[in-house]
Amino acid sequence: MVYITSWDEFLDRSVQLFRADPDSTRYVMKYRHCDGKLVLKVTDNRQCLKYKTDQAQEAKKMEKLNNIFFTLMARGPEVDLSEVTGKEQTDAQPIKKGRGRKQ
Amino acid sequence: MVLLQLDPFLNELTSMFERSTEKGTVWVTLKRSSLKSKVQKNKLVTAGEAIEYRCLIRATNGKKTISTTVGPKDHQRFQASYATILKAHMTALKKRERKDKKKSAEIDKREGSSKRPKKT
Repeated sequence: MVYITSWDEFLDRSVQLFRADPDSTRYVMKYRHCDGKLVLKVTDNRQCLKYKTDQAQEAKKMEKLNNIFFTLMARGPEVDLSEVTGKEQTDAQPIKKGRGRKQ
Repeated sequence: MVLLQLDPFLNELTSMFERSTEKGTVWVTLKRSSLKSKVQKNKLVTAGEAIEYRCLIRATNGKKTISTTVGPKDHQRFQASYATILKAHMTALKKRERKDKKKSAEIDKREGSSKRPKKT
């Protein structure tokens, strides 16, 4: 599977993948300190989404994805994510701007 | 695989990160699980009972695997501590270059000094 380069795309598709099959979707974070590389992977054993980075600022985005998946997995896939994402949007203004431009 | 309580898991995870600084990789997997076998699940389904799910967290460095679970009540506390550990240990990632900021600071200084003589 090729790495997805756009973070927003990776995030949207990861959540979709989990919601489509909550029982067999897993989220893996791989960190290699000596190379300074971070790889995120979401897969349901049929489809595999991957995102790779070496930037410290991307770690914040990963933290948000962690929170999303913790909430989804511990509370169930039906849970409303606006509680989690609402807090994020106030924190992450650059993302908000990006969305605005697209529209 | 060892199923740990939350705090021992976080401690183990910390030492895993510390031991893999020179070489090695750490994997952390999140998965939704009922922690029950298929037989047990089928029994619950036929009995008409709801299956309780938790979030299973597994961490490995390739040699040793540890795991823990969080439910709806304790996941927020866990994710906060987990985020702190990640922040503390993911120090090898590149920081954004701040050349632009320096330049803009210099421009500000110049503007500031040029404004002062005008006012006087």
